[in-house]
Amino acid sequence: MGNVSFRATSKTFPGKVPVCALDDITLEIKDGEFVALLGPSGCGKSTLLNLLAGFETRSTGEIKFDGASVEKPGPDRGVVFQEASLFPWLNVWDNITFGPRVQGLKRDEYESKARAMLKLVGLEAFADALPAQLSGGMRQRVGIARVLVMSPRALLMDEPFGALDAQTRLAMQQLLLDVWQTLGTTVLFVTHDIDEAILLADRICMMSARPGKITREITVNLPRPRSIESLITPAFAAYKAEIMAEMRIAHAR
Amino acid sequence: MKWANSLLLDNRAGKIALGLILPVLVVALWQAAGPTGSLFGGVLPTPDRVWLAWKVWAFGPPGMGLNPYSGTWLDNALFSTERVAKGFGTAILFGVPLGIAIGWWRLAAGAFDPTIQMLRPIPITAWLPFSIAVFGIRDMGSVFLIALGAFYPIVINTTQGARGIDKNWIRAALMMGAKPLDVLTRVVLPASLPSIFTGLRVGLGIGWTAVIVSEMVAVKSGLGYVLWDAYYVGRMDVVIADMASIGLLGFLSDRLIIAIENWVLGWHRLQSFQA
Ligand SMILES: Nc1ncnc2c1ncn2[C@@H]1O[C@H](COP(=O)(O)OP(=O)(O)O)[C@@H](O)[C@H]1O
Ligand SMILES: [Mg+2]
Repeated sequence: MGNVSFRATSKTFPGKVPVCALDDITLEIKDGEFVALLGPSGCGKSTLLNLLAGFETRSTGEIKFDGASVEKPGPDRGVVFQEASLFPWLNVWDNITFGPRVQGLKRDEYESKARAMLKLVGLEAFADALPAQLSGGMRQRVGIARVLVMSPRALLMDEPFGALDAQTRLAMQQLLLDVWQTLGTTVLFVTHDIDEAILLADRICMMSARPGKITREITVNLPRPRSIESLITPAFAAYKAEIMAEMRIAHAR
Repeated sequence: MKWANSLLLDNRAGKIALGLILPVLVVALWQAAGPTGSLFGGVLPTPDRVWLAWKVWAFGPPGMGLNPYSGTWLDNALFSTERVAKGFGTAILFGVPLGIAIGWWRLAAGAFDPTIQMLRPIPITAWLPFSIAVFGIRDMGSVFLIALGAFYPIVINTTQGARGIDKNWIRAALMMGAKPLDVLTRVVLPASLPSIFTGLRVGLGIGWTAVIVSEMVAVKSGLGYVLWDAYYVGRMDVVIADMASIGLLGFLSDRLIIAIENWVLGWHRLQSFQA
């Protein structure tokens, strides 16, 4: 389970000059699907993700997650933030087990799962480290592990690798591919990086700004399992050309 | 300059020595300026006289001899310290929860902030007659003034800490299933601790001011009482020994807070070193 449905959803931020961040969004995401939101900065990608996360309330329309209307945040939709947003006063282990602990689970109910997730992201040796002692890439691994521990039905990631250097970013993309190929959860992935969107997603929703709209959906049929080697195949280049052409058209409009 | 830096800044003993140069110089000059044991026509005793007076005050035989201060230092220091501890503790008990509530909950800000901001400009010295009238010449009056004086910086700094929290920490906590009370105790409180400690240090300083002022007027014991009493009977050597004692206790209590802060906020220091 992990089905997402936006129906005629819009979001206007009130204020002296109200900002229409999203207009008439309709989007279906099937269980286990990996969908990327691709668009220039300010086009409403974060707003769309925040609506599904329950961080913001929609102005009109409806948003359903597994049939239930989305009203507030919850551990069924794990969010990975751009800057990881770990709690700097907790060490890696306490950050990762924060979810189970506030949900009132006993230690033996979450310990083995937490160990497994720590291992999955390659940080077994850093359980006692504080976030300030980790690199940006390692922090983001903790950010991923702390949501996986809760077995969410969907992963919502808002430019999670946007602040990383190119090499670390490639490593993290590979890690995410591996994790997703093992766990198969639904993923909504926000990015402004064309390569990243093609490499990771089953489907790319291209967005344009003012008001934020989904202008085009592109299904990516590159074979799975993928790895960062997929970046240099001719099929990959063809998708990239298609997306860039679409962006030029959008820019000319 | 390089050798001076490595000698005086890069090792602990050198650092302490560097800090001691100025006070030692002042004390030496002061001593040299009064070959007869006092300055300004007998008004200001020299450091050796002050030291002597302090020794008798601290270690002299107690009892009603010619010197009523003899052997009473520890008792008076303890009286003052106890009042500061009680008042400061009360200030924390009220200031931290209220500050968190004001910073976090807009209804609480609307309800309490205006009152606090209106009362704050009234200096604690202006509360003295009120406090004597209400509590009499007793401990409570002093503790009340200390608590009130320390309360303001604690509540204001805590409020600021609770307001400046990264929105995504709150979102992350809610996303992981935290209830509102969890968010308060597990995110807002720890995230505010650096500001809270700033408030505690300022508040403790004000607490020492308040205890001396109130003991001079509203109680009949403690370092503040001795200070004023000694002045009235012309014992300036005791007055200065008393001032030094207050400074020493204030300094030590501040060190204690810093030690606790370093212990609790290791993560924060680590972060600032990185930045
Ligand atoms: N809290 C807010 N209040 C007012 N306007 C906002 C708020 N959040 C976002 N916006 C506006 O909504 C638009 C979309 O923002 P966002 O979703 O963050 O875009 P993206 O993530 O694609 O860069 C922008 O014009 C932004 O200024
Ligand atoms: Mg964004």
